Amino acid sequence: MNIRDNAPLREKLAAEYVLGTLKGGARRRFDGYLHNDAALRRLVIEWQDRLAPMAEFSTAVQPRKQVWAGIERRLNLGPARAGWLESLNFWRWLGVASTAMAALLVIVIGTRVLDQPQLDYVATLTDAKSQTALVLTGDTQHKALTVRLVGNAPVASDKTLQLWAVPKQGNPRSLGLLADKGEVKLALGSNAIGDDVALLAVSLEPKGGSPDPNGPTGPILYKGAWVRVM
Amino acid sequence: MSDAHTLDPQQLRTWLNGAALHDAAAFRSLYDATSAKLFGFALRILGKRELAEEVLQESFVAIWHNAGSYQSHLAAPMTWMTTIVRNKAFDLLRRSDVAAEIDGDPFDAAIMNALHDPAATPIEALELSRDAKALAYCMSALEGLHRQVVGLAFFHDLSHSEVAQQMALPIGTVKTWIRRSLEKLKACLAKGDRP
Repeated sequence: MNIRDNAPLREKLAAEYVLGTLKGGARRRFDGYLHNDAALRRLVIEWQDRLAPMAEFSTAVQPRKQVWAGIERRLNLGPARAGWLESLNFWRWLGVASTAMAALLVIVIGTRVLDQPQLDYVATLTDAKSQTALVLTGDTQHKALTVRLVGNAPVASDKTLQLWAVPKQGNPRSLGLLADKGEVKLALGSNAIGDDVALLAVSLEPKGGSPDPNGPTGPILYKGAWVRVM
Repeated sequence: MSDAHTLDPQQLRTWLNGAALHDAAAFRSLYDATSAKLFGFALRILGKRELAEEVLQESFVAIWHNAGSYQSHLAAPMTWMTTIVRNKAFDLLRRSDVAAEIDGDPFDAAIMNALHDPAATPIEALELSRDAKALAYCMSALEGLHRQVVGLAFFHDLSHSEVAQQMALPIGTVKTWIRRSLEKLKACLAKGDRP
């Protein structure tokens, strides 16, 4: 049956399709018509707009909290910063690439600092174009972490750079705030060089650092990984 | 809960667009604003809290995945979401062989009263969106039994013959009532009638 030229029939079928009384073979045939008939799909949407508000003729009832928890789990939304965690694997992958670079650098620095404090950790942090932006050196004996900016990294006056250790599992740990040029000395604790640290990252945060104690809120500008020197 | 405020279509559209971009916070706001209404609807269809919760969960998973294909110029956001909930609820009934209990009144008592006699219970006083109020006005202009037949079909996924059985009416009568009621509703909604 051709329903294209039968306007009253199209209207009636679209209405009963939405109401639900169109069933069985008739409904399947109608589904078939919908496939190649945009005007018919339009009719269906108009009937949905007319009849769907009937759904509101039921009293609102608050669902239990576990319903949202279930949705969150099924969609893997996690509490807050899903984006940050999702991109973690990507950084780890990049981290491997920059490790090779860092190893080269170690030799250069290592030979120049024989008389200096014992540097046993080095990391280079690079930007999105793999340009080195920061060099980190760690001295576990003196518990000192030095962050040196290579060149300038201009930061707006209401922003600040924040350094993070990203563990294999759990929340990133803040290691401190950075200046936008020159050198910054921070304390080096096990939170910065533990075996579980997968990556170091620098994010752009509001002045005073990330308002979220569990991780960065701004974009990640630089990243890299520790190389153990000795 | 102020529905007029929280169910503002423009706001819902913004959140849906956010969900399409995988903005979890926008999705949460959408859930907070609409879940009670959608849960009440699922509960009305299914009658059991556990089933309604399962359907609500499945529906929001679908909303998240399909938000990108939601076309705001076609359907109102609540229309789109209630259609998803309704389809999921009917799917679950078919899948699980659970028979939903069908009582004679497809709507809650407050709505039934307002539809029956808007002079005694003003439709304005109900917590309904603008679209739902307009539909309520038009449905109140239908005869009581006709309204009940339309409501039964909508809430319980019934065929003409199942409605006929439920109401102990000849199937021809049911078919005619439904066709006429739908025609009247269309005309009334187009005019924006206030009976």
